Amino acid sequence: MRTIILSLALLFLFACGSDHSKKKVSFNENIRPILASKCMSCHGGVKKLGGFSILTREEALGIMESGEVAIIPGLADSSLLIHLLTDPDPEIRMPQEGEPLSSAEIQLIKNWIDNGAEWEEHWSFIPPQKPEVPEMEGSNVRNEIDHFISERLKEKGLSLQVEQEKTKLIRRLSFDLRGLPPTLEDVESFLNNKSPEAYEQVVDEYLASPAYGEHWASMWLDLARYADSKGYEADRHREIWKFRDWVIGAFNNDLPFDEFTLQQLAGDMLPDADTNKLIATAFHRNTMNNDEGGTDDEEFRVASVIDRVNTTWDVWMGMSFSCVQCHSHPYDPFDHEDYYEFMAFLNNTRDADKPDESPTIPVYTVEQERTRAVLQQQIKQTGTSANSPDQWASLKDSLEKIKPTTLPVMEELTAEERRTTYLYDRGNWLAPGKEVSPNIPGSLTSSKPVTDRLAMARWMIGAQNPFTSRVTANRFWGALFGKGIVETQEDFGSQGMAPSHPELLDWLAVYFREEAQWSIKSLLKKIVMSGAYRQSELVDANLLQVDPYNKLISRSPRLRLTAEQVRDQALAISGLLSSKMYGPSVMPVQPEGIWQAVYNGSSWQTSKGDDQYRRALYTYIRRTSPYPSMITFDSPSREFCVNRRIATNTPLQALVTLNDPVYFEAAEALAEKMKLAGEEPTDQISAGYEMALFKQPTAEILHALSGLYHEASGEAIPENQLISEKADLRENIPPLVLVANAIMNLDAFITK
Amino acid sequence: MNIYNESIFRQAAFNTRRHFIKQMTGGIGALAFSSLMGCNTASEKMMASNPLKAQPAHYIPRAKRVIYLHMAGSPSQLELFDYKPLLEKYDGKDCPEELLEGKRFAFIQGVPKMLGPQYKFAQHGQSGAWVSDRLPHFTKVVDDVAILKALHTNEFNHAPAQLLLHTGSARLGRPSMGSWVTYGLGSENENLPSFIVLVSGGKTPSAGKSVWGSGFLPTIYQGVQCRSEGDPVLYLSNPKGMDKALRQKSIETINNINKKTYNEIGDPEILTRIAQYEMAFKMQMSVPEAMDISREPESVHTAYGTEPGKSSFANNCLLARRLAERDVRFIQLYHWGWDAHGASKEEALDYGFKDRCREVDKPMTALLQDLKQRGLLDETLVVWGGEFGRTPMRENRGGKEMQFVGRDHQKDAFTMWMAGGGVKPGISYGKTDEIGYSGVEGRIHVHDLQATIMHLLGFNHEKLTYPFQGRDFRLTDVHGQIVNDIIT
Repeated sequence: MRTIILSLALLFLFACGSDHSKKKVSFNENIRPILASKCMSCHGGVKKLGGFSILTREEALGIMESGEVAIIPGLADSSLLIHLLTDPDPEIRMPQEGEPLSSAEIQLIKNWIDNGAEWEEHWSFIPPQKPEVPEMEGSNVRNEIDHFISERLKEKGLSLQVEQEKTKLIRRLSFDLRGLPPTLEDVESFLNNKSPEAYEQVVDEYLASPAYGEHWASMWLDLARYADSKGYEADRHREIWKFRDWVIGAFNNDLPFDEFTLQQLAGDMLPDADTNKLIATAFHRNTMNNDEGGTDDEEFRVASVIDRVNTTWDVWMGMSFSCVQCHSHPYDPFDHEDYYEFMAFLNNTRDADKPDESPTIPVYTVEQERTRAVLQQQIKQTGTSANSPDQWASLKDSLEKIKPTTLPVMEELTAEERRTTYLYDRGNWLAPGKEVSPNIPGSLTSSKPVTDRLAMARWMIGAQNPFTSRVTANRFWGALFGKGIVETQEDFGSQGMAPSHPELLDWLAVYFREEAQWSIKSLLKKIVMSGAYRQSELVDANLLQVDPYNKLISRSPRLRLTAEQVRDQALAISGLLSSKMYGPSVMPVQPEGIWQAVYNGSSWQTSKGDDQYRRALYTYIRRTSPYPSMITFDSPSREFCVNRRIATNTPLQALVTLNDPVYFEAAEALAEKMKLAGEEPTDQISAGYEMALFKQPTAEILHALSGLYHEASGEAIPENQLISEKADLRENIPPLVLVANAIMNLDAFITK
Repeated sequence: MNIYNESIFRQAAFNTRRHFIKQMTGGIGALAFSSLMGCNTASEKMMASNPLKAQPAHYIPRAKRVIYLHMAGSPSQLELFDYKPLLEKYDGKDCPEELLEGKRFAFIQGVPKMLGPQYKFAQHGQSGAWVSDRLPHFTKVVDDVAILKALHTNEFNHAPAQLLLHTGSARLGRPSMGSWVTYGLGSENENLPSFIVLVSGGKTPSAGKSVWGSGFLPTIYQGVQCRSEGDPVLYLSNPKGMDKALRQKSIETINNINKKTYNEIGDPEILTRIAQYEMAFKMQMSVPEAMDISREPESVHTAYGTEPGKSSFANNCLLARRLAERDVRFIQLYHWGWDAHGASKEEALDYGFKDRCREVDKPMTALLQDLKQRGLLDETLVVWGGEFGRTPMRENRGGKEMQFVGRDHQKDAFTMWMAGGGVKPGISYGKTDEIGYSGVEGRIHVHDLQATIMHLLGFNHEKLTYPFQGRDFRLTDVHGQIVNDIIT
């Protein structure tokens, strides 16, 4: 079999017409993948077996433990590496473990050495340049994005598909931009709008809707590891919802991503720092706190700072920097020291794992802020008239009665208080090594020195950082298409996956930073206006064969709704959803006995009235015991930064949408709405289907749902069953509710 | 062809390269297969086939499943298994300086007093195992177990130590042992989750549900907590007024319409959803049956000390046997309340500790006897223990003598026992120093324990990995030595 593969591989090379005898090879395209997969695990950053490492050119050309040199540029045949790769003795041949390299691979390496063994930086370390947009034409080619996508499709004999059916398109757009289904009116007016700008009008409307900020906040809160509790043992309550509200507001106001970054990483150090910017710094106060008796506060303060380093890198750099905590990076050019130099940026804030979460600032709810403003205005007026001291005193009293809640924030220590940062041997905080000063890693560049947290934040969004613009554009792309152009959204390093469309990624990154001036709304609009986004979801055997995982974007992705969307949709369609925004987190219905953490008397107090029906992102998140139905649909427990959720498809999900009282109540509410559609059950069922999916059911679907209705109403009970017993039971469950529950469990309903 | 197989078949047919390599690798199995497909992501593996399909192991497995009895809070080894006559002699004396040097404690301050064993010890069985009088039932089964006396860990606080033990890392976010096992072994029961968690003692462990979480593994591998009160699995019971037949009809209708959607669109994920709705219905039938202990004969209830309908460790032990019979892969029990510092009556060696011993002694003994009698012990690995050990010194929180007798946390020595599933019966392995403070022989780090458990299940702990954030992660991090001496 192996020979077949080999000959296939050779065949492929020949078929591509490559004369590989002396051809110039690209290090990044041809050589790096071989080294990364076949050699790196023994000859990388951590292990340098035999003193040979291929992490950098300098190391690869260096003298090994044996005193020999493995690679002699220009002289492949004299290079020890080639001898070792081709030695017939399996004891000597490299790689020592695993199959030998194919002759095609060896030939590539030979050519590369003969050509001078030139090194290229890993693609993601080279700042993105705006590439030429390829000339492409086609029916659904609408903007630059489509040119890049079509070019790749064409290579495979494919092209962009026609536009998605309008009702499905607007439904997906609505979920993608604001996390909610469209309203029936939205759909109707879109269908009736014959203007060529009809689609764009809906896009603009959704981008401007307040629900937009709520939707995107969910994504950001996964990265910010936002939760309403401190984590660890007792997992006590934490008051930090004001940060969640800040994120919603920032998205809705389209705060440019550079500002968005600066304020969260160093809002307290900005020259114009105000309350709002301090609230933003709670981003890094979402680290866990340990109140367990007997714990060392310093140990957990250090753990928090380490988490901040890792999170900063996960979010803005898309790099697994956490490896470097214990040792030099095995695959990417980061030293052990780089980690602690970066940590020094974040090691000088006042917080120290104290139970009171100090430092904190007082914050008010939106309603409180309003009342306070009114009172302050009145006091000012009364004060100036100076003739009603009683009234003045009573107003003053009312003002003082409005008690704020506290919000943990970042506060930089003064110059005298600064902590010294040490390198920790193997990442162990009890084994401090040499002292280090703040700096960005040596493999990255900066034209001026980066000395403190604010400077670090500015560097993050500067043009010399090759990562932030790519990582962020990729993240938004991933949110809309189900996977990023770099599928490993969390890893842009050499072990991450290569971009499926490198030029498109760079184009988007530069567009985002320059033309769009870091406007997220502009970036999203550019993407959703593309033909690639708007194409149909249809799949046929050929498409599945050529592009089984839709890496080429040969169709619209069909994705299961997120945990938040599953809940929000059920509430929206049934008419239960509250549109109330902001404020402390709420507790919708959850089964008894879920909260059982130790040493903590707190209990789940189901919210009253409308607060039971708020959007999912307002649901109280306790890290050790998150809201069960959300977890079932893959929402994380927010202990750590999560860069992407992997959607699962499990029986427990079916049980949630079938039986969870929240979802059953939604079915009951939908059934009430269905009743208004007419006397005939078929009219009611048809209306319910349309309310949920915005189109009439086909005759077959209507037939199936009607069958369920009749079964439930007792009309279709088979004769051989005990009629009396069944009819009794079924009196309790209104047939229309059962039908509504079924509609809300259809694949088409939980998928967008 | 059932719909699940059809889904697998369709995926394979659509992806010729995958299909081709699958043919080629033949029996090597999915793990080797995925490593060959270097460019494949885990999510693709998930999509490609039933992720809970049993996968071939690296070695011939000795155990098919694990019943893990975790004693949350950590029982004192010095009052149960690790008999130290010398400590008796030192009782009440100041702790020598050299024992305190370089040590960090949770609560001990200044110079504490040594504390002798609080209960009488005797040797039992053919093996002559030392067991204290707190576990009279257990003394009857000592010849079936291996008592491991020199476990050690890196953490001396509950939450991090529990995480290290169950997930291989002291910080949150890693998959639990049960998740790894489920990921590696898949499921052998189509009607039940393959990783089931049962909690008693009124509280979940300190580290919360993360100890049975799936971390960065897909959530399909996380532990499913079954409860002996209320719905045994969340949202398992139908809404009031809906009978089985009607639920069946409703799922049939949903699946019927989904099948039409599949025919129209061709997305294979729809087939998985159809299968999962079928599984949900099967679970509705089989979980309540598996979790219903009321029909067990009286003799069984007497042996375990069970009371149907209540939440207790005894009930959970009996449930563990029932789940083992039904081929659940990883059955994780937690019993809370072992943290005997002496700070309160409930947390004292002279009070609460005695109650805990009573609560576990009879049922865990009955579980071993029952498994053995049913021929299940050979293929079921039973593991018992806490997350760390207790100090040979008496705790003196705040530098003062406390009202009740207790011991502080310590990480350098504690006792666990294992039985069945390829473990040597009737042995004591490892030794601690004369006061039971540190292991001196046969030390087993918690990572070694994990490596050994994985080995007994047929997996090389270094090879069962999952890519996350740029590297391949495994349960044992970068550590773990198999303890071959305790394997038959």
